[in-house]
Amino acid sequence: MKLIKDKVAKLSFVALLAAVSASMLYTPTASAHGEKSQAAFMRMRTIHWFDLNWSKEEVAVNDTMTISGKFFVFSGWPETVDKPEISFLNIGIPGPVFIRAGSWVGGQLVPRSISLELGETYDFKVLLKARRPGDWHVHTMLNVKGGGPIIGPGKWVTITGSMKDFVDPITTLTGETIDLENYNLSNTYFWHAFWYALGLAWLGYWMRKPMFIPRSIAVEAGKADSLISGTDKKVAMGFAVGTLAIVAMSFSNTESQFPVTTPLQAGLLRGIKSIEMPATSIAVKVEDATYRVPGRAMQMTLTITNNGDSPVRLGEFNTAGVRFMDSNVAVDETGYPDDLLAEEGLTVSDNSPLAPGQTRTVQVTASDAAWEVYRLADLIYDPDSRFAGLLFFYDAAGKRQLITIDAPLIPTFI
Amino acid sequence: MSASQSAVRSRAEAVKVSRTFDWLICFTLFFVVLGGYHIHYMLTGGDWDFWTDWKDRRLWVTVAPIVSITFPAAVQAMLWWRYRLPFGAVLCILGLLLGEWVNRYLNFWGWTYFPVNFVFPSNLMPGAILLDVILMLSGSMTATAVLGGLAYGLVFYPGNWAIVGPLHVPVEYNGMMMTLADLQGYHYVRTGTPEYIRMVEKGTLRTFGKDVAPVSAFFSGFVCILIYFLWHFFGRWFNSTEFVKSA
Repeated sequence: MKLIKDKVAKLSFVALLAAVSASMLYTPTASAHGEKSQAAFMRMRTIHWFDLNWSKEEVAVNDTMTISGKFFVFSGWPETVDKPEISFLNIGIPGPVFIRAGSWVGGQLVPRSISLELGETYDFKVLLKARRPGDWHVHTMLNVKGGGPIIGPGKWVTITGSMKDFVDPITTLTGETIDLENYNLSNTYFWHAFWYALGLAWLGYWMRKPMFIPRSIAVEAGKADSLISGTDKKVAMGFAVGTLAIVAMSFSNTESQFPVTTPLQAGLLRGIKSIEMPATSIAVKVEDATYRVPGRAMQMTLTITNNGDSPVRLGEFNTAGVRFMDSNVAVDETGYPDDLLAEEGLTVSDNSPLAPGQTRTVQVTASDAAWEVYRLADLIYDPDSRFAGLLFFYDAAGKRQLITIDAPLIPTFI
Repeated sequence: MSASQSAVRSRAEAVKVSRTFDWLICFTLFFVVLGGYHIHYMLTGGDWDFWTDWKDRRLWVTVAPIVSITFPAAVQAMLWWRYRLPFGAVLCILGLLLGEWVNRYLNFWGWTYFPVNFVFPSNLMPGAILLDVILMLSGSMTATAVLGGLAYGLVFYPGNWAIVGPLHVPVEYNGMMMTLADLQGYHYVRTGTPEYIRMVEKGTLRTFGKDVAPVSAFFSGFVCILIYFLWHFFGRWFNSTEFVKSA
């Protein structure tokens, strides 16, 4: 019996060690941002990112790269999400692996919150400076007050080098050049250590004498007043006067060392300039739209009218950053992330050039594993089962027209 | 040894046991306060204490003292009325700052690489020392609430200026003026802390021109008085011993 008990104890110990090791030693880097978990309608019906470009796929510490492109603030913005009247152009990265050296919307630097208009298209650019080596998923992102972060497409970027080489030189308006990465650090450590030591000294003064039991007995016996001596009072006065003197002195020294200081800057930038999009000459009506769950495909019946003066063909359907393309009409040449690009994911029942003045009803199918991988199929579980996206039409000269669509979506399960 | 017999056999042994008891209580109290106070302060002071670009002259000055005078008031009530020990506030702040520094250094810097000069905690020690000294010299909770609470609020901003002031030096950045603290907030990307949730420079103290920090500090001190009263009662209530009569 004892032998069995010993064996069980031994094996239990080994199992415990294995479990602890498995949980402690395996610590993979968190690199995703929950982009696939965000409700599908949020990604499909709020901000449509397009013409995106990540300037580099590999960048050394201290070097810069840009993410640029455009975003369309969808006119059919969902009721359940606050409108982007107060929003902030952010970047989706796992902590400050890059620093944001600059960000612009409509040519305006946007370190502050901005107000955006529904139905408008804006161009943007984010300048990033590499700080921490590793492979990082770098997303476009717009935070909307009352709506949360709306994350856009992401691409893997590799940072090489060593973080200890990172510098962030800034010249202040008083003419001093500092490295923001470690500016004021020793001063911070000094003052915190100083005040902590003073606190410990106060505590130590009282702890050197017997504390709880004898003092409790004295208090219970009505001799509480005898527990504070004249010396105690003098020491306390010394601490109080010393504290006030040090505060006054450190304040005064800082004022003389940094005579020019300003309050923190904050505010909302209005009047952000949007892009004048060319007038479209194509009208699209969504007759119906279904999502076939087993086939991971969305089918739309579209009635397209060409009111322009040149024949056009449908080349791309873009929703939630996933690009379904008809490779016979349009090919991506920007290095768009593979997992978001369905190069042959768009099928049109009749995609011959639609002549000027002609109207045609076609069946359009957007199919790709991305529906499942990016959990867009979960749209059928959303509170407002509608889809939206951008359609890109091209003429023979490569001129592009952008049309937005927004319609109910019916799931089919067979 | 019977239950009524003393566990110690000499005065020296009694003193030794008493001191051991002192250290055990102090050690336990320190870490219990550290845990509870740290959670409380992170939930109520949170971002104002995390980031330099939240440490402004209005709301940080107002909020941080108000939400941090809580535990010191309660622990002071316990240590003073039970033991006449006037180090409750300093003990709390020592615990809080230790917890905060461990958090900022290991989590903010060690895990997510935010530089320490962007995420250091506020300095609450000057106010705590004054609070303890005023309690000791006055021996009155009312005087400590009124004078100590006010002093705790008033001394907060000047007590932090030596650390925060250098970060308020202005800089011109791509055609806009910012402080270095603003620039830290802009450079070091926080996906979950967009600019619009930053609660700084909000309020209606516009008639005081640029001198709003003293007004904010006075208001903070005034509310600290009220909060001190409230939390001192929590301390006394939490520290009361009730014996239940046997049936």
